[in-house]
Amino acid sequence: MFMKEPIYIVDGVRTPFAKAGTTLAGIEAVDLGKSVVRFLVARTGIDASKIEEVIVGCVGQPADSANIGRVIALRAGIPDSVPAITVHRNCASGFEAVTQAAEKMLAGRGDIFVLGGVESMSQIPLLYSHQAAKKFGAFARAKNLSQKFGVLSSFRPTDFQPRIGLQLGLSDPVCGCNMGQTAETLSREFGILREEQDAFAMRSHHKAVAAREKLKQEITPVYLPGAKNGLTFMDQDNGPRENQTMEALAKLKPAFEPENGTVTAGNSSQITDGAAALLLMTENALKRSGLNPLGRLEGYAYAGLDPSRMGLGPVYAIHRAEQRTGLGLKDAEIIEINEAFAAQVIACQKAAKSEVYCREHLKRDTPLGEIPDEILNVNGGGIALGHPVGVTGARLVLTALKELHRRKADRALVSLCVGGGQGGALWLNRN
Amino acid sequence: MDENIQREVSDAGVAILTFDRPGSTANIFDEGTLDELNEHLDFLETEKRLKGLIIRSAKSRIFVAGADLKIFTQEVSAERIAVAIERGQKTFDRIARLPYPTIAAIHGVALGGGFEIALACDYRIASSDSETKVGLPETNLGILPAWGGSTRLPKLIGLPNAVEAILSGRQYSAQQAIDRGMVDSVVHREQLTTAAGRRIQQSAGQKRSQRTHISNRPPLSQMIKKRAEKKAAARTHGHYPAPLKALEVAYASLSVSHQQSLENEKNGFIELALSETAQNLIGLFFLQERAKKLQIPQELGPAPAAPVQAVNRALVVGAGLMGAGIAQWLSSRGIHVILKDIGPAPLGTAMQTIAKLYREAVKRYLLSQVAARNAFDRILPIFEEVPLLQIELVIEAAVEKLDLKKQIFADLESRVTSKLVLASNTSALSIDAIAESLEHPERVVGIHFFNPVHRMQLVEIVRGTRTDAATLSAAIGFVRQIGKLPVLVKDSPGFLVNRILLPYMVEAVRLFAIGYRIESIDRAMLDFGMPMGPLRLTDEVGLDVAEHVAKELESRVKHLAPLNDTLGKMISKGWLGRKSGKGFYDYDSRGEGKTNSQLGHMHPAEPKTVPEGDLRDRLVLVMVNEAARTIEEKVVEAPEEVDFGMIMGTGWAPFRGGPLRFADHLGIATVVSRLNNLRDRVAPYFAPCQLLTEMVNRGGTFYPQRKPLPSTQTEPDP
Repeated sequence: MFMKEPIYIVDGVRTPFAKAGTTLAGIEAVDLGKSVVRFLVARTGIDASKIEEVIVGCVGQPADSANIGRVIALRAGIPDSVPAITVHRNCASGFEAVTQAAEKMLAGRGDIFVLGGVESMSQIPLLYSHQAAKKFGAFARAKNLSQKFGVLSSFRPTDFQPRIGLQLGLSDPVCGCNMGQTAETLSREFGILREEQDAFAMRSHHKAVAAREKLKQEITPVYLPGAKNGLTFMDQDNGPRENQTMEALAKLKPAFEPENGTVTAGNSSQITDGAAALLLMTENALKRSGLNPLGRLEGYAYAGLDPSRMGLGPVYAIHRAEQRTGLGLKDAEIIEINEAFAAQVIACQKAAKSEVYCREHLKRDTPLGEIPDEILNVNGGGIALGHPVGVTGARLVLTALKELHRRKADRALVSLCVGGGQGGALWLNRN
Repeated sequence: MDENIQREVSDAGVAILTFDRPGSTANIFDEGTLDELNEHLDFLETEKRLKGLIIRSAKSRIFVAGADLKIFTQEVSAERIAVAIERGQKTFDRIARLPYPTIAAIHGVALGGGFEIALACDYRIASSDSETKVGLPETNLGILPAWGGSTRLPKLIGLPNAVEAILSGRQYSAQQAIDRGMVDSVVHREQLTTAAGRRIQQSAGQKRSQRTHISNRPPLSQMIKKRAEKKAAARTHGHYPAPLKALEVAYASLSVSHQQSLENEKNGFIELALSETAQNLIGLFFLQERAKKLQIPQELGPAPAAPVQAVNRALVVGAGLMGAGIAQWLSSRGIHVILKDIGPAPLGTAMQTIAKLYREAVKRYLLSQVAARNAFDRILPIFEEVPLLQIELVIEAAVEKLDLKKQIFADLESRVTSKLVLASNTSALSIDAIAESLEHPERVVGIHFFNPVHRMQLVEIVRGTRTDAATLSAAIGFVRQIGKLPVLVKDSPGFLVNRILLPYMVEAVRLFAIGYRIESIDRAMLDFGMPMGPLRLTDEVGLDVAEHVAKELESRVKHLAPLNDTLGKMISKGWLGRKSGKGFYDYDSRGEGKTNSQLGHMHPAEPKTVPEGDLRDRLVLVMVNEAARTIEEKVVEAPEEVDFGMIMGTGWAPFRGGPLRFADHLGIATVVSRLNNLRDRVAPYFAPCQLLTEMVNRGGTFYPQRKPLPSTQTEPDP
């Protein structure tokens, strides 16, 4: 045991993941979060007033739901005496919710936590520039017609050109490149061909399609009370493509570097709407509840690296987790590394087994080890399932634990890269 | 004395009258209260140092609920009514004539007389609380506002809004009231008295000066009156005289003296109040009050000592039309609901139905957007097995199959505590049969809602032979908690409402099959005063549901006429009524009034044209006969319950007072002779039941005779 006391992940559930702009586009992030939290509380039968805190990861918090975690908790029917926070570590926000809860429990601050992640990437708004916003403000304050006219005449066409919130979020303000460009960097530096990336992407789709029934075990449907297209609910992910072929993938144009790029929409993760929720307990609370846990958190670490190579984050985080727990890649029976980009995961595989890379960057005598394809993302990853940024961390934990049960295996390593140059890695144990 | 109204005078010289009826949550105007008010007025008129008057209530939910209606039903006579009306008018006139500004500070319900006293004040300030409602509901009781309301409101807010308020009898929220000028300002409850004091200060001793609304002058006023007349005539089908009478009085108030207008109010009121219609409508009001106080039957012993706990969490099993409707209603009343079905598909449909109901409620200002969303959030659709330990009441609303229901109940029993009430919303099956194989059959009860749940106030509480006192109390308490009106019925085929209604629908289908036009069948019953015709009703209920319930009834009640094959044939074509787009009517086409043009071959090409009366007798008397049987078989205890159930559960011509009141009105002998006649001419199933025959022999009636009414307008016999 590497932690002072075991932290149990008792149960978890997620919505189906929907490509942004599709089935769940009309559902607000709060409603997605509400549906999973409420379902989780009902299914476990816990007394919601005994929850210590609700912790929700979310990257693009809707402007009308500041501290979206609190809004979700209240609307999920959790008593108002239970506090709630929202956490943000970019793509690792779902992890952050898990590890914050764990840290609180280890510090003796409560023993039942509901946490999760939520993201409606469909509903990330368009923004106006500060300059345009100032003019809108002046217009609203204008007292008479001539003042109003004066302000109106100061508008320029560019003022009406919104800045796309999603694009801004997916760009790194420090290194100045967007996420896709960081993947292109890795593909160049590690010599990863377009075909390798496409093949990786195709496998992700094939694995996800084959795992539909398995994934159903972690999904609760989202109901669509306002839909007008005859759909009344959604109960499976719509990202995985049934017959994804290399030919189809090869036709796609590079998305970030039109001339010589290799990273396409096809071998990148999808932009997605969804939510997930997990119930965490200390051993005492678990005993009182009489519930059977999915597993426990054995250890974890976050690590930082060069933002323009953020895709290698898992390598750094896995390394640091090993320093903390002694658990290395060889101990993992399954591994989940979020597929932000095929190039990025392949780069992680290459870096992890490279003596040179590990020595230079991690100051290790031996390489980190193999990340074998056979146990990596066995049910598909972000390329097929989608990557709702605030949710993915929680989704990886849930998917990995369910897979451990199906395989009757013990240990899983889940990891992801984080925009801004970070990585996160969690060790999970079924027992 | 000096119990109902407290008086104080502030240092600033403002008198405050606080209505606070002892030992009650409500204030009403009974004789004692009016006496007290007049004594206070003696002081208020003579005390020189006064600068203003504030009238308010100490109750948390009621300002003044109005006049005590008993004045108008017991030993009723034109003279007695005249005295009561004049008393109120004179008292309120005294308030209006006080030489300083007067203010009604309204929190809670101010209806009828309660709003009329406010109208006699110079200003009205209302609390923004959701409990606050103002309005003049008199026409809904078949009478009109006669304590100055019909005179003052048009002058205050203009004829169009006044006509709407008086003719619809609507209750307005504070916001709606201020939009219409019915109140002058809206403040938080805690600030009412302060705001009223400030208003008095601001008016510097001046009374309010009235301006004349432009719509109160001809020709606008004439046009408004004409339009309102037309609308009222269309709405009442000529069965309800009160709105038209009220309109006449309100319109005349614009051109006659105040005194003359009050005289008009009085005369109009007397004329209306003495009519059968008003007596029946006021009677219905008392039946509603009676239902709110429903107790468990005496033979079950005293009600359990512990008060019934309010239900916070309920499970609704089955997400069909009824399950969805029930879940919606419970959630709107603050209850968390788990809505259970076997898969996401029925739940998805149900959630859309529920969302639509909430959207409509918001559109009709019944709920704010936020309140509707919060209520919607209380429903958790689920098909997975979840722990039920926190559930406090279960309502099963699954498909009407006995085996399925038994299975559901057996499963529930194994998963909940032994005390939990398990209710079934069955409309056709026996509660005893459902409970039969359970370990604790005593906790099974029927809680039968009507469709659409959010509109129909009636709920049948079905007592199985083994249902115990605790369960029955819990069921009654629950129905009260959710704001529905209960009627307690015995576990018998079709219970009360369907037992009477189904034979009527079956008869309508039969009439259709022998050649009557759909329009003439439905028209005859609309003219009788039903909210919709029986074939339209069948479409609404769903042909499959109607057929199922009819067959179930037929198999359990021997004397009933068998259902013909018309419904079966229509169902086989996929015509299930409104829900499928086609039934007796065609709902695909734009105008929803069109009958289904493909039905021609199902009945003779030659339209049957027998006297309307015959059509009407066949449809109405089949119900009267069955209603009498529910008394004979003790399905309910008293005729009041039959009439109440039919009016609240089906909209049965309220002005006629229900099928048994109607039978009394028509004369039991007439009922029996016409039934005998139909039996001889048409079919044996029209034979009058034993009770009716017996009653003719002993000259009995269902109700004790009302005192003969001097100016009773008797209905022409059907």
